[in-house]
Amino acid sequence: MKTVAIAGQTGKQQGLQVCSTCGNHSEQGPSYTQCPTCNNDIYLRKKNSLQKTWALLITAIIFIIPANIYPITYLLKNNILYPDTIFSGIVSLVESEMVGIALIVFVASILVPILKIAALIIIVLAVQLRWKLSATKQLLIFTFVDWVGRWSILDLFVISIMVAVFDKGSLLSVYPGIAATSFTIVVITTLFAAHCFDTRLIWDSQDASDKQNYNIQEHK
Amino acid sequence: MTSTIPAMDPGHVAKCIRCSRVVYNNSSCNPSGMLALCLTALLITIPAFNLPLISLHLLSITEDTNLLQGAFMMINIAPIVSFVVLFCAVIAPTLLILCITISSGCLALHHKHHLLPKLFKVTRHLIHWSMLEVYLVSLMVAMFKLMNYADLYIGMGFYFFIALLVLNTTIISHYSNHQYWEKYQSL
Repeated sequence: MKTVAIAGQTGKQQGLQVCSTCGNHSEQGPSYTQCPTCNNDIYLRKKNSLQKTWALLITAIIFIIPANIYPITYLLKNNILYPDTIFSGIVSLVESEMVGIALIVFVASILVPILKIAALIIIVLAVQLRWKLSATKQLLIFTFVDWVGRWSILDLFVISIMVAVFDKGSLLSVYPGIAATSFTIVVITTLFAAHCFDTRLIWDSQDASDKQNYNIQEHK
Repeated sequence: MTSTIPAMDPGHVAKCIRCSRVVYNNSSCNPSGMLALCLTALLITIPAFNLPLISLHLLSITEDTNLLQGAFMMINIAPIVSFVVLFCAVIAPTLLILCITISSGCLALHHKHHLLPKLFKVTRHLIHWSMLEVYLVSLMVAMFKLMNYADLYIGMGFYFFIALLVLNTTIISHYSNHQYWEKYQSL
């Protein structure tokens, strides 16, 4: 059932696949759909990885627009509503001389989502179009993006604390706006997009393009 | 790429030969120790989530704020935001600790339960969604923002929350999915 794996070769070359749940390897083939060790679904690469990543990325791109245009919080003070977008919130933080906090909020709610989407698009395009980019660098960027992505949820937590603190009826209250929901969708979709992407595809595409170049040279 | 996992001293990690990512963490994770840590963490979740994190003296009223309040107050206006906040700050960390508690308990008592593989699977996914450290930074950002408006006092819940965060981080860094699978198979 379990064949010995040779180090230094890919599982694909040896006809082996690794289970993402329990980490044990087993033979690959159309009839092997379940891991013999833990009975979970097993696959050589994550199924429809690129399609899923694209779908989630496009959703994130659509929702990042309302997230930045519409007000993320409303401050109700003496029966007058003061809307605040992500950007105006940061500007008012800078004006009240809290540059450090403004920087944290700027990085977490504007810089990280945009950079994350851009980096994922570049990596997915590089895999799909077989660009010759350094695979280790691509993985480094991916790991960084994956780690930093969770920090963009910071703004949502801040909103939840603000809403709980300012609860004085019409005298002084804070309400979340439409942008809060849009921003949540952006954060969640980018987190799932990174989760759906199979990093082994980076090397698959490099191997494929190497093979192609080799064949062209042979032809000449 | 296939890599061989060499014999290692506890506390060392094995890295992939192609991408240098950690493939095996030989951390010293014995189930009974983990069980003790997890039970402590579970007890601390109750005060950490229910006691006030910060108190605010505003309009001559002192008001306490705890972690659950914030999420529940938005449920009518922005249900998605409310759910995500609740999930990442409360549900995921609690469930994660609960899962590790049950699996460590079963392994420590040498009890091979048929649901253990499912628990390992859930644990692996939940680790990504437990965002207590992000919440702590958010709390600090909120506190700096609030200092402009009113007098601010740190509540008891805050200290419990920090204790929970430290325990949670220790548990996650010691937990090794591979080793739990190995222990399960050798039961």
